[in-house]
Amino acid sequence: MSLTPSQWAALLPLLIPVFGACVVIFMSLDRDQTTTKWIRGAMYGTALLAVAASFWYLTDLWKAGSQPAFFQLHMDRLAQFTGIFVMVAAALTILQSWDHFHQEGWVKGETLALLLFSAVGMMLFASTTHFVVLFLGLELFSIPLYALVGTVRARPESAEGGMKYFLTGAVASSSFLMGGVLIYGMSGTFDLAAAAATLKTQGLVLDPLVLVGAALMLLGFLFKVSAVPFHQWTPDAYEASPHPIAGFMSVATKGVAFIALLRVFPGSFAPMGAVGVKMQAVVAVLAVATLVLGNLTALVQSNVKRMLAYSSISHAGYLLLGFVAGTPAAYTGVLFYLVIYLAMNMGAFGLLTAFGLVGEHTTFEDLRGLGWKRPAMGFAAAVFMLSLAGIPPLGGFYGKYMIFRELVGTGHVGLAILGVIASLVSAYYYLRLLVALFLQAPSAEAERLASDRPAVHAPLAGAAVLVCAAIVLAGGFLQYALVDGFAKRALIEGLGLIR
Amino acid sequence: MTWLNLHPLTFLVFAPTLLGFVLMALPHSLGKLSRLLGFLGALAIFILSLAWLLGHAPAAGGAILAERAPWFTLVGLPVDYALAVDGLNLWLVLLTTFLVPLTMLGTWNSLKDRLGTFAALFLLLETGMLGALVAQDLFVFYLFWEAMLIPMYFMIGIWGGDERRYAANKFFLYTLSGSLLWLVALLYLANKAGGFNPAVMAQAASALPFGVQGWLFIAFAVAFAIKVPLFPLHTWLPDAHVQAPTAGSVILAGVLLKLGGYGFIRFAIPMFPQAAMHYAKPIALLSVIAIVYGALVAMVQRDIKKLVAYSSVSHMGFVMLGLASMTVIGTQGAMLQMLNHGISTGALFLLVGMLYDRAHTRMIADFGGVAVKMPIFTTFFMIVTLSSIGLPLTNGFVGEFWILNGTFLSGFPWGRLYAILATSGVVLGAVYMLWMFMRVFWGPENKDEDSGTHHLHSDLNAREIAVMLPIVILIVWMGVHPKTFVAASEAPVTALLQEIKAPAPQVFVLKPAVHEAPEIPVSGSPAPEGPAAHEVH
Repeated sequence: MSLTPSQWAALLPLLIPVFGACVVIFMSLDRDQTTTKWIRGAMYGTALLAVAASFWYLTDLWKAGSQPAFFQLHMDRLAQFTGIFVMVAAALTILQSWDHFHQEGWVKGETLALLLFSAVGMMLFASTTHFVVLFLGLELFSIPLYALVGTVRARPESAEGGMKYFLTGAVASSSFLMGGVLIYGMSGTFDLAAAAATLKTQGLVLDPLVLVGAALMLLGFLFKVSAVPFHQWTPDAYEASPHPIAGFMSVATKGVAFIALLRVFPGSFAPMGAVGVKMQAVVAVLAVATLVLGNLTALVQSNVKRMLAYSSISHAGYLLLGFVAGTPAAYTGVLFYLVIYLAMNMGAFGLLTAFGLVGEHTTFEDLRGLGWKRPAMGFAAAVFMLSLAGIPPLGGFYGKYMIFRELVGTGHVGLAILGVIASLVSAYYYLRLLVALFLQAPSAEAERLASDRPAVHAPLAGAAVLVCAAIVLAGGFLQYALVDGFAKRALIEGLGLIR
Repeated sequence: MTWLNLHPLTFLVFAPTLLGFVLMALPHSLGKLSRLLGFLGALAIFILSLAWLLGHAPAAGGAILAERAPWFTLVGLPVDYALAVDGLNLWLVLLTTFLVPLTMLGTWNSLKDRLGTFAALFLLLETGMLGALVAQDLFVFYLFWEAMLIPMYFMIGIWGGDERRYAANKFFLYTLSGSLLWLVALLYLANKAGGFNPAVMAQAASALPFGVQGWLFIAFAVAFAIKVPLFPLHTWLPDAHVQAPTAGSVILAGVLLKLGGYGFIRFAIPMFPQAAMHYAKPIALLSVIAIVYGALVAMVQRDIKKLVAYSSVSHMGFVMLGLASMTVIGTQGAMLQMLNHGISTGALFLLVGMLYDRAHTRMIADFGGVAVKMPIFTTFFMIVTLSSIGLPLTNGFVGEFWILNGTFLSGFPWGRLYAILATSGVVLGAVYMLWMFMRVFWGPENKDEDSGTHHLHSDLNAREIAVMLPIVILIVWMGVHPKTFVAASEAPVTALLQEIKAPAPQVFVLKPAVHEAPEIPVSGSPAPEGPAAHEVH
């Protein structure tokens, strides 16, 4: 079978990382991988190269515009957007991993291969409306992540976190599968867009089985974005995983789950407006619960990673509010928010590596006074935290601005007020990190630890953090370029939501 | 130079930030150089602002300098990059550019560490304040308004007193709470108006039902009232003022609080005239409570800085009372009182800082007989104290007198009662300030080994005198010839109030004499009841 250029175009961004992952696996067969520096360098180099090649190819495609679908694989603007998003996240993760795993003394090639496979699964997940491909993508990106959470086998908590994540994730996957099966059973087709059209013509839109099917699928998505009440795995999994992996999960998993949700619910299921309305009501309730619970629980955390986990839950709440508003402008806001969220959260987790916090030493106490010792990292930390809290003129403010504006515009003033109150609460725990970094002197314990440990040397993680800070700042001052040139075009030429 | 000719305001607003980032990048070891560079930069900005703003005659629209260009359109709502200096903000802008270098000089040796970072944050703060003052688009205003919090947060939190972390968080979250709810109102109105231009938004607001207008006004008013701060939203202020380093307190009192009052006169009142008229009475009542309550609480303070902080609550109550009177003379008085308070309270904080730097205590009980040890300091403190309590021939008198006059004429059901109660605030002000002055400066010298007086070894040096002299000159100038400072705002204030009162709601009976009143003899001693009583009857 020979492929046309546009078919190659659909496949290559997926194939390049797969190829890279296979090469890395073969390299990691080397027994000396933990002792020989050059083989480690080669593994990381290969992985980075694969990601960069895929990224470069995707940006090229972006310039060319949407490609025709290849079987059930749509390489449209939204898929390209997702690809670029995931590749940037993966590249930042790889850079941070180099330093983090060296600090932990646990450099293994398989983590890189798993990461690349996961990235491929994410792209697959967000570029299809065919249920089987969707499910394949879901599993392809989830299973490597289960393994990655528990990758540092030397730490028992790590395995515990991985197991928790796996068990709950398996339940979510099976309900997602069950939902798809119900829709298939009622409509006779796996293509969700076609299924929706069929159900509409047959008048089966409000059939209980269809509703249950849609609700179960929604549950699968909500689990992946860690919305309340499907959020319990999040803090444990983040705490257990290596910092860069936690960052990758918080950003990429949430991001692609939102994009796929966008493709399926307002996208493919558009003909079933009545289902959409019912699901929107559910989403509104869950968004409120997510905001309240996520923010209030984040307030009392003493571990930075757990705080960031609850913060990531609460950000799922803001993003879900965008779905409640449900206008094209709100979805543009959601996509923009995801881009900024990628930078601020990868940056926040990158800080932990850049400051050289390993193992269990990730409490606010461990961060005391570090902002003055590493001023560039401290500055970046201020950028991330203030942006996460939504303080202008940083990128995070504009994401919230667009979502809240559409909420108010669609008459959900009460939800918007709740949203800003949630932001206010969140400002407190983000400030706590800045308090620890700048406003407190280092604790005696931290000083002792610092003198015991060799000086932190994390140039790659530091560079990754600075890149993230630059993106957040750019999001604050070039927001219109990012919105009009990137987020909006992904929507228009991906879903055709705005004309 | 052509770019500079076209964008003078952009330069004034953002030049401090550019310099601030340069200072931030300089290494710690160059802290002293950074402090010097920061001061010289701020001084240059002050000189430029004087030259550019006082040199230009107002254009047809009333703006002295203006810039307007479309900035961006985010998902349908256009935002204009619109800056202007006009009669309403001219003197507040100059006050800001004046106070920043003055404060830097006045607190030259107060801080020991991280001088470069402090200077950088100070300059970032100047950008925030100037930007908020000159912004003519509500989105731009909101950006600067919020961005201002960040440097102030770090200034309090890093260089503050023992409770600095608590005070900084409280300041940040308290202010943020008001402005976030205000953001929702802003978005609501922007959706109706299709943009953030205040005039267009005002038009859109007037088309809304009165109940909605009322809620929107409340959202605006609460955000601004927190900044002022108006009783009962003032509780962040004593903590922030007392814990902040001297420079932070000066700028907080001198400029940040003014932005609240300025927000009312620039946005809240013109955009919702009917609602503003409707809520003027409760605001006036709260202002009177703030005046009396602030004064009473100030009276019982043992810490001089805290006393000055509560006196701010009382003085800013006068500003709000003047604005709520909805008369030209009251509003003009409020405009002047904002400048007065910026100068006098700023100076008080500077003086308290100078005392603290020497004695390392601010407790009134630790002092006594300071006049013997520091005669020059005592002289300056006396002058500023008299200005703060509103002695005729000083600035404080004119502002408070006009405000009381405006309140008396306001036509509120209990307007005269308010004026009388507020006048008691003036008396109480004299009581707490003079009592404090007496205990600190007079009496026998406190010879106790641990006392503050014991640690006072030097009077003011040349630098500190150079800081205080311009303040004294301004105090007298504003007291003798206030017209210099209120002439610019007279036309816009008159126009605004005429526009508001045009539909003349039945509750208010307009006194025509009100509009002829701004020229009040300031020297001599007109009894407050004199002309006012005459006009009313």
